[in-house]
Amino acid sequence: MSGEASSPSANGPVLAVRGLTVTAAKRKILDGVTLDFPPRSLTAVVGPSGCGKTTFVRTLNRMVELTPGLRVEGHVDYVGQNIYGPGVNPVLVRRRIGMVFQRPTVFPMSIFENAAFGLRLIHEPEEVVDRAVTEALVRAGLWDEVKQDLDRSALSLSGGQQQRLCIARALAVNPRVLLLDEPTSALDPAATQRVESTMERLKQDIVLVLVTHNVSQAARVSDRVAFLHSGRLIEVGPTADVLERPKDPLTEQFITGRFA
Amino acid sequence: MENASVPSVDNIRFDGSARTRWRLGFDRVIGWLLPLLFLVAILPILSLVYYVSARALPTLSWTVLTSTSPYRTDALGVPIIGTFEVMLLATLLAVLFGLFGGIATAEFLSDRVAGWVRMSANLLVGTPSIIIGYFGYFTFVLYFGWGLSYIAGVFTLSFFMTPYVFRTADLAFTSVPRHIREAALGSGAKPSQYILKVGTPIAFPQILTGVFLAMAIGVGETAPIVLTTQPGVLVPQTVYSPVTFLTQLIWENFAQSQSSGLQVLAFQAAFLIMVVVIALNIVVRLISSRYRKRLEGLYA
Ligand SMILES: Nc1ncnc2c1ncn2[C@@H]1O[C@H](COP(=O)(O)OP(=O)(O)O)[C@@H](O)[C@H]1O
Ligand SMILES: [Mg+2]
Repeated sequence: MSGEASSPSANGPVLAVRGLTVTAAKRKILDGVTLDFPPRSLTAVVGPSGCGKTTFVRTLNRMVELTPGLRVEGHVDYVGQNIYGPGVNPVLVRRRIGMVFQRPTVFPMSIFENAAFGLRLIHEPEEVVDRAVTEALVRAGLWDEVKQDLDRSALSLSGGQQQRLCIARALAVNPRVLLLDEPTSALDPAATQRVESTMERLKQDIVLVLVTHNVSQAARVSDRVAFLHSGRLIEVGPTADVLERPKDPLTEQFITGRFA
Repeated sequence: MENASVPSVDNIRFDGSARTRWRLGFDRVIGWLLPLLFLVAILPILSLVYYVSARALPTLSWTVLTSTSPYRTDALGVPIIGTFEVMLLATLLAVLFGLFGGIATAEFLSDRVAGWVRMSANLLVGTPSIIIGYFGYFTFVLYFGWGLSYIAGVFTLSFFMTPYVFRTADLAFTSVPRHIREAALGSGAKPSQYILKVGTPIAFPQILTGVFLAMAIGVGETAPIVLTTQPGVLVPQTVYSPVTFLTQLIWENFAQSQSSGLQVLAFQAAFLIMVVVIALNIVVRLISSRYRKRLEGLYA
């Protein structure tokens, strides 16, 4: 584990977003978002479709740069180090801050190699890989289902299992942050429930940023809700506060619209 | 029509109006016509296979296939070895250039530059092979001073085959599902790591298909070889040696000679090429169906 910044105070934010603005051809997709992610928390980022949720999480590990034509301003501090700072290599950022997507993104290789993917990229020795893969599969809540056939193709798993394998893949490098962009939107209710209980367990020790358009999911699993609208952060606070006593009329409209 | 709204369900007659019946009948006719047209299309191919086989097979023997004696005019050993060697080297070169070019175009070039490169490749694919032959003649034979030689033939044929490999490699890498590519890069894979660990396993079957098709097209080509090599009676000794390609033998023996023995030899060469082309196409089929099964679910 090289290149880790010296850890600041244990209770300081793991991720601190400051004045984050993303522009696409003069149009602001995100507009001056400032937001902290404290340790051991699950923050749900909610908002209507097209408000910039996906763009927002993609700035948190510099994946946003894989889309040409987007300009990013402001900064994101990961344990005190600005990931947009000069000399920072986005590839190294992405190796530390993993992401899970709307659709499962398993690679055409074995279950084991999928989970080991991030470790292979940094050439970890075999015994480290073995241990980390097992641990990650356990943490992702998939171990019991796959321990017998780790060499089987990951494509043979069900959608829900594939999604938890993707979570395991991100967890294997032992990250302090896990980004999830609507991870259950392609899953059936039973699979959704499994992924949700995995998230609830994971938030006991790392930072989860969960994008969801589903307010009841936010209510079920998150401890904080951040409401985005037209690229602006309208409101953020403890889940119960934001969902039951929203301060902003836009937030209230969104929530009641969903619940009604 | 005075009433434009959809008729309510109870008013629909399930035996259909006259017009509906006519349309359904027309569908039936088309259903019969298509297989018939298919038969018309495949008939010339079948008769060609028969025509060539009937002339080639009666005298085709192991000796004909294997003898490399320079004194025999009824043996194919020398052109078979020549074709094999030229194809092997030309394929290697075409894979080298086509693969690197295709991957670079799909993964590294800007959209604008990639567009130009793709257009050039398409132009090359559409270029008559005789023009490629002349290009090889002027470039390798004359300008590089290699003379009519084995190596000039290899380079010209590989030049002819490269765009086919290039196009499939480019297409195979650009059609890797976007979310899979992003997930790999999003996990911190360098572009080279993405290409090797994720892109290649997905693109591989398609690329292999392209290589085999390029081979099938290359082995049946005549002009790029005829214009850049000279036929010899011996297996090539050096890279500047004469070399005989099977299609070249057909060209020489059939078009240029009246001797019936030489013509039979030409039919035997044609038969071999036919078998190789059919075999390559079958291999392509097998590979793609097999890998499609393996990658099932990736595109879900
Ligand atoms: N590459 C891009 N170029 C231009 N506009 C974009 C690009 N990506 C996203 N957008 C726009 O940014 C807005 C936010 O998109 P997104 O972050 O995907 O929203 P959400 O995930 O909340 O639905 C949308 O209006 C979308 O059209
Ligand atoms: Mg989205």
